[in-house]
Amino acid sequence: MIRRIKKVAVLGSGVMGSGIACHFANIGLEVLLIDIVPRELSENEKAKNLTLQSKAVRNRIVNDSLAAALASKPSPIYSQAFAKRITTGNFDDDLAKIKESDWVIEVVIERLDIKQQVFEKVDKFRKLGSLITSNTSGISIEKMLENRSYDFQKHFCGTHFFNPPRYLQLFEIIPSSKTQPEVIEFLMDFSSRYLGKTPVIAKDTPAFIANRVGTFSIMHLLNNVDKYDLTISEIDKLTGPIIGRAKSATFRTADVVGLDTLVHVSDYIYQQTNDEAKEDFKIPTYLQKMLDNKWLGSKTKQGFFKRIDVDGEKKFLTIDFKTLEYKEDTRPKFSIFEKTKGIDDIRLRMPIFLNDKGKVGDFFRDSFYSLFQFASNRIPEITPDIYKVDDALNAGFGWKLGPFQSWDSVGVAQTVEAMNNANYKAAPWIYEMLAAGITTFYKVENGLKYCYDIESKSYKEIPGQAGRLSLEVLRKTNVLWENTDTSIFDLGDGVINVEFHTKMNTIGQGVLQGLNKAIDMAEADYKAVIISNEGDHFSAGANVGMIYMLAVEQEWEDLNLAVQWFQKTTMRMRYSSIPVIAAPHNMALGGGCEICMHSDKVIAHAETYMGLVEFGVGLIPGGGGTKEFALRLGDSLSTGDIRTNAFLNRYLSIGQAKVSSSAYEAFDLGYLRKGIDEVVVSRAHQLAYAKKAALQMVEKGYTQPAPRNDIKVLGLEVMGMVYAGSDGFKTGNYMSEHDGMIAEKLGSVMAGGDISQTLTEVSEQYLLDLERKAFMELCMQRKTLERINSLITKGKILRN
Amino acid sequence: MDAYIVGGYRSAIGKAPRGSLRFTRPDDIAAAVIKRLLKDFPQIEKSEIDDIVVGNAFPEAESGMNMGRFLSLMTMESVDVPGSTVNRFCSSGIETIAIASSKITAGIADIIIAGGAESMSMINIGGWRLIPNPKIAKTNPNWFLNMGLTSEMVSREYKLSRQQLDEFAANSYQKAFNALDNGYFKEQIAPITIRENYYEDGKMKTKESIFDTDECPRRGTTLEGLAKLKPAFSLDGSSTPGNSSQMSDGAGFVLIVSEKTLKRYNLTPIARLVDYQVAGVDPYKMGVGPMKAIPKVLKHAGMNLNDIDLIELNEAFASQSLAVAQGLGINPDVLNVNGGAIALGHPLGATGGKLTVQLLAELKRRNKKYGMVTMCIGTGQGAAGIYEML
Repeated sequence: MIRRIKKVAVLGSGVMGSGIACHFANIGLEVLLIDIVPRELSENEKAKNLTLQSKAVRNRIVNDSLAAALASKPSPIYSQAFAKRITTGNFDDDLAKIKESDWVIEVVIERLDIKQQVFEKVDKFRKLGSLITSNTSGISIEKMLENRSYDFQKHFCGTHFFNPPRYLQLFEIIPSSKTQPEVIEFLMDFSSRYLGKTPVIAKDTPAFIANRVGTFSIMHLLNNVDKYDLTISEIDKLTGPIIGRAKSATFRTADVVGLDTLVHVSDYIYQQTNDEAKEDFKIPTYLQKMLDNKWLGSKTKQGFFKRIDVDGEKKFLTIDFKTLEYKEDTRPKFSIFEKTKGIDDIRLRMPIFLNDKGKVGDFFRDSFYSLFQFASNRIPEITPDIYKVDDALNAGFGWKLGPFQSWDSVGVAQTVEAMNNANYKAAPWIYEMLAAGITTFYKVENGLKYCYDIESKSYKEIPGQAGRLSLEVLRKTNVLWENTDTSIFDLGDGVINVEFHTKMNTIGQGVLQGLNKAIDMAEADYKAVIISNEGDHFSAGANVGMIYMLAVEQEWEDLNLAVQWFQKTTMRMRYSSIPVIAAPHNMALGGGCEICMHSDKVIAHAETYMGLVEFGVGLIPGGGGTKEFALRLGDSLSTGDIRTNAFLNRYLSIGQAKVSSSAYEAFDLGYLRKGIDEVVVSRAHQLAYAKKAALQMVEKGYTQPAPRNDIKVLGLEVMGMVYAGSDGFKTGNYMSEHDGMIAEKLGSVMAGGDISQTLTEVSEQYLLDLERKAFMELCMQRKTLERINSLITKGKILRN
Repeated sequence: MDAYIVGGYRSAIGKAPRGSLRFTRPDDIAAAVIKRLLKDFPQIEKSEIDDIVVGNAFPEAESGMNMGRFLSLMTMESVDVPGSTVNRFCSSGIETIAIASSKITAGIADIIIAGGAESMSMINIGGWRLIPNPKIAKTNPNWFLNMGLTSEMVSREYKLSRQQLDEFAANSYQKAFNALDNGYFKEQIAPITIRENYYEDGKMKTKESIFDTDECPRRGTTLEGLAKLKPAFSLDGSSTPGNSSQMSDGAGFVLIVSEKTLKRYNLTPIARLVDYQVAGVDPYKMGVGPMKAIPKVLKHAGMNLNDIDLIELNEAFASQSLAVAQGLGINPDVLNVNGGAIALGHPLGATGGKLTVQLLAELKRRNKKYGMVTMCIGTGQGAAGIYEML
């Protein structure tokens, strides 16, 4: 029988429990969230004459935690409306309700005895055959099983979400010796396809995979920090985005996570393990002192960093490990960055860093050699599979390169020798691998990824690739055409994909050329076009640098043509004989949003942040976005509607440069269309699904849409509100004079100009011409150019 | 020939949009008040009532369809009595009293019920379909400035500090709590039966309650608490939800009769409207309206500010109230003695009727002779009416 998940129960409503409950609500499930009954009445409850028997009191803990989670930023929930899917309760009154749950997740305090007590009760109430899992981050799964029923044991395992559950990709699955294989298989698929996670099966070893390796990396650094002759700011510079890790790098991350949490995990590993790296998990004296002082990081306002305000300006001081005093670091500067400038591929930067002759090289060598040594020695202890370690660090710690991927980038053979000379020791299997003539952990062949397997001593196909598509894997073999800014891939079955690869995937001439080329190719020889890429962001918008240059040089003719070409390209996307599908992820702003809005269908990743944000640079959407808003407004109206309010809603999306906090919110803001565009939770499945959707449209019989000459515009009916509204915003100092001017132009284009008869039907081209005219007029404004200049040179939105 | 007010009631004022009257339509609120008023005059033949005149600031949706006529149909058990609806925004509820008094004084009517009713829970300021004239909005956009911003313009012009506004507001609260605690409003209020059908646990349920106490003043409001609120209308402004009038629902009506009617039914007159004047000011600082209307009405009536024993100055905003009070040198001891709209609420078109009822009751309690109801009006007007107790 196929296992179905309809209802989920989450036991424990702390930060993790509430976050997990929200994520299950995100994917549409009914969730029961439970926590303990408070022992005493609060002052507030006493004042209201409530008793310990009142429902409001009994559910206070769970209700407060959930409310705090829902109010937190970044939000754990795709849309606040989804929170209605969560019901709250308490252990004393509501635990019996878990008999309706298909999956019960335990997220109570990390103490074995308490978890065992909870499981004893769960065993009584749960439905036979339902899943029961623990979200422990380290406690032995095997020990939790003791004294449980056979059915419980068969359906139990560890499922470890990372905080915050909505945003962090990793999902460690830890089977016990009794877990049925079916349960693991099910969780692998469900966590990936439904929850959008990267599942990694881990052995039941202390701290599992990601925390074991990740904590090693941090603790080794903390234990050796006096050797490096580098400041905290310098180390954070070296361990951040330049090597493909989070911007918060090492120390800032530790502060955000909390030093107590870090020490707790590290201490646990120290107690539970006995290997060559044990001493690295010891808490250094200075760190213990910081802990004693309750300097735990962000939550206590000081940790490795301390924020101070000097004359209203915030400054970060860093701690001196010897004196434990806070001081100001100088801005880190490294000459080695000269060599890596312009190299975007981290894999190509890595050898440059590790080969550096100075202290930067010393630092990197110690960091990575020790990591290579540690990671290789943990195979097969924590997992027999190399790729799982990389997956875990990629997805759980946000490292673009995990230990073995990093190692591949600097050359395994050379490194092993250098490590040997410097007293680091790679695991014996590395030598075996090299002896067998295999010099990389990974390879790509025939559109599939392979990884070295230490047991068979050969490459094995990485499982789970079926039903997915990755441009990275197809890059060597399937590129049909490319220019500097785009590549067109053959995805098979007649579907091609345009990939942008400019900085932040901004849109300029090259991207427009690529889009037109792909449509040309598809109309001639293929069936459908998909627009997607695997960069950090789908697209940050049009290349404003180009607009700035043309405007400063007053090349109005050229600028007009450039804008017109953008409009023609988006129109071509809609008016072509083949379906065009956009599959955005992360940021899809400005021009990137306009490209999505003109696709026949959008298959958006749930984490898509869409918005027409041109206002910030003193412009209105000029690639058809403003026109499209007018069109969608007109199409949405029915007789008797309060048209002015409908207008206002859409007008404010652009006027306030609203960006959706999830793909679902993009429907509310008018960027996505209900009934047409779709949301996919799993990024790994997104492209394959987009391809299926494209082929489905082809199968159904796709025809080129007829041009629209029937767009209903509101004309003068709304212009009074536009003028009065912008004046009000200016008077209230919410807007500058220049904002007011942009707002009025935006309103005028969206209204279709000063037309007397409301609901007059106009053509799409008429609106595009109005939009382009307004865009050009704004480009001629000094204040708009100042705004663009500020974005280009400072990366900041200027309000002038 | 004179016109005499012989009775008056108001509803308790509900908070909008989430207060007790949120599901009670403005015509239902008004009808309840009128019925209570008529109950005191069983001797008056209903078919002899000449008109019902209701003031309303946004006569559309639940307030639409000429509410005045419907009020007559709902309360008179007869089709004979006509009804009309009058709009001068926030002074609508006293405008009707002036119209009624004038008609009676002119001898063209004998008995009129006049006042105002408003539901801000159901109809927001500006109405449901606000469509400014684009030509005017382009050339004179500040004629459409929202009320909160006009308050800021007054603060800016008269250099009123946030502290001053909050102190004024806190004082209004103190006076309102005092009046409520002493039950000063009890006798003037027509209780309203609220029947609410609501959905719970998959079923429709019904609850009924009697609403008879002003609910706007929030207990525990302090100057410190008010000082913490964020500006509501301008990024760097000083008007907050705490020092502005509260959105609310309610109604207030009086019964006005001719001398002939007075004698015929042997009625006791309570008061008369001595004079009523409206003056125009700049729309963008509409709050200063009373500053022009008050001198105008005093001059026309041949009186001085000192002659007035009590003044109900509608507290649309602390800013404009202060500007008016300071600008005209109004004695704080006679001003809004039982608190104002900041504490008690301001149901737009109902306010003129509500304040009239409130003022006459307080003049009676204090055994004083002259009182004034005055208010600012959106798009730049001020209104002021003088009452004399008889």
